[in-house]
Amino acid sequence: MRRALADFARALLRASTWRLALRGLGRQPRRSALVIAAVAIGLSGLVFAMALQFGLVFQMAETAIRTEIGDLQVHASDWRESAPLEQRLAQAPALRALRALPLLRGVAPRLRGEGLALSPRASVGVRVLGIDVAREPSVTTLARLVASGAWFGVGERRVVIGEGLARRLRVGLGDKLVLSVQDARGDLTGEAFRVGGLLRPPSRGLDESVVLVRLGEAQCLFGVPGEISELALAVHQAEALEAAKRAAATALGAGARVETWRELQPLLVAMIAMFDQVGWVVYAAIFVAMAFGIANALLMSVFERTREIGVLMAIGMPPARMVAIVVAEALVTVALGVACGFALGFGAVWLVRDGIDLSAWSEGLRSFGVPTRLVPIVRSGDVWSPLWVATATALLASLWPALRAVRTRPAEALRRI
Amino acid sequence: MAVVEAKNVSKLYAVRGIETRALHEVSLAVGAGEFIALAGPSGSGKTTLLNLFGALDAPTAGVVEIDGQDLARLSRAQLAALRLAKLGFVFQAFNLIPVLTARENVEFVMELQGVPAAERRERANAQLAELGIAELAEKRPLEMSGGQQQRVAVARAIVSQPRVVLADEPTANLDSVTAEKLLDQMERLNRERGVTFVFSTHDSRVIERARRVVRLRDGAVVADEHVAP
Repeated sequence: MRRALADFARALLRASTWRLALRGLGRQPRRSALVIAAVAIGLSGLVFAMALQFGLVFQMAETAIRTEIGDLQVHASDWRESAPLEQRLAQAPALRALRALPLLRGVAPRLRGEGLALSPRASVGVRVLGIDVAREPSVTTLARLVASGAWFGVGERRVVIGEGLARRLRVGLGDKLVLSVQDARGDLTGEAFRVGGLLRPPSRGLDESVVLVRLGEAQCLFGVPGEISELALAVHQAEALEAAKRAAATALGAGARVETWRELQPLLVAMIAMFDQVGWVVYAAIFVAMAFGIANALLMSVFERTREIGVLMAIGMPPARMVAIVVAEALVTVALGVACGFALGFGAVWLVRDGIDLSAWSEGLRSFGVPTRLVPIVRSGDVWSPLWVATATALLASLWPALRAVRTRPAEALRRI
Repeated sequence: MAVVEAKNVSKLYAVRGIETRALHEVSLAVGAGEFIALAGPSGSGKTTLLNLFGALDAPTAGVVEIDGQDLARLSRAQLAALRLAKLGFVFQAFNLIPVLTARENVEFVMELQGVPAAERRERANAQLAELGIAELAEKRPLEMSGGQQQRVAVARAIVSQPRVVLADEPTANLDSVTAEKLLDQMERLNRERGVTFVFSTHDSRVIERARRVVRLRDGAVVADEHVAP
């Protein structure tokens, strides 16, 4: 077996094997062109679909990370999202501990709480997010999402809310609203604010149910001066995420829990994994169909050339060489198909490199944090995976016809007309 | 010692359960340098015997040897190697590889033998020239006449310097002038280079030139005549 494989490998390295394979394809140019076209169309569709799919997933993750979560978050070790005020961190020591970490690009302290936003015309249950107005832009893009008004402006007691929440409360810029909350001691309290800016965020949650308040004013409102619920952190390089997590955990000590966005957003991670798995299913479906097409074409080719195969065997062609010629023919077919498929697929990606406008479905998409402009992204795996899978497909698809060719008895083959 | 030898060889074909006897206990030894014709009517078993000599088929009973080597003991790959090293074939229907030029067809056998590229080109050109078809070197089979294709087939068969050339009805598809020319060249190769030729034929022109004629009928040897040159 090992010797047969070595003979096959040697035969595959011979120039004449490839010359025969190439010329073999030219015998039935229309059939060869059809198989190559099938491979090319399948692959180009796959490349384009995978680029769009990854672009979608990447943008969903980016949206979540850049608009709210950050790359990492720090909470008190027993902090629970359902009771955000219960466990808190001391703001100043936490900031001091993280100040010297070179892997971090930004640190934004936040205080989270829940409450009721009341306007003269409506009331809505909201999440109150106290943010450091100066530090927050080093971690998230919230400040850049202001559609009208200002990122808090200069006056005191200003809030920034989403356009969606403004519609629900029926308020506009400069209008007053009251935040009624239960403070850390459990007492009901409230403060009046004016709407300083309106956001147009990509996710519905942020748009319709979050009120951004200055950190100091939020700490007063909830009665926790100098304390925070979390620190959102941004890293310089995504590859350094785990290293930054370890460094932050070491710097902050045992009382703090550092989590990556992957740990904080398991649903998103599961969705990304599911998209990848669906991608492999699509790969498999396309390449299995491709394999049948190639195998069929090769089988027809071998059948038509039975007599010629008999001649080749009569003149002493070794079986390994015969297999190599059939395999080479399949590889050439697939290589041409892959080349054309890549040209078409990447060409299509290039044509929509600025993104596909999905604003017609923006309302539905925002519920899932999907941006309204879908930009395709090609990963290196989108190039290499089809190459490997295509090569494996060609090898598998050619196996049957190759074995059929080798098993042909020369005398019988020579009798074929 | 015989170059090829059949010892009590029988061959049965089974088609849809019906057995047909193609050869029955045939024994025949072909010595080096012979120019021998296996003659007989259609169905007499001459092509079957030629296929057995050429290791293209296996006998139902009996032994076929090439240079004393029992073919039944060889694997598929070993049989291929043996054919490559010791046998050359010329077929009735020429059977050149259609996608290769005349020179490439001739070179191909040498390439399988591992002859270096420069040497095989030189030998292929010389062989084509010797058979008077040097000008066809770059033509593909479909661009050649039947006689030209058969000469290329002869060139392919002998360029690898085989011990024996097995020719199955080589003149059957040729006009008489072309057939005579081809036979002249084969005779010359036999005389000058000592190449052994075994023909399966019912063409009287071939039989007249053969120095030994083995006649078959119904799968058995009925006559084995040595003809004086």
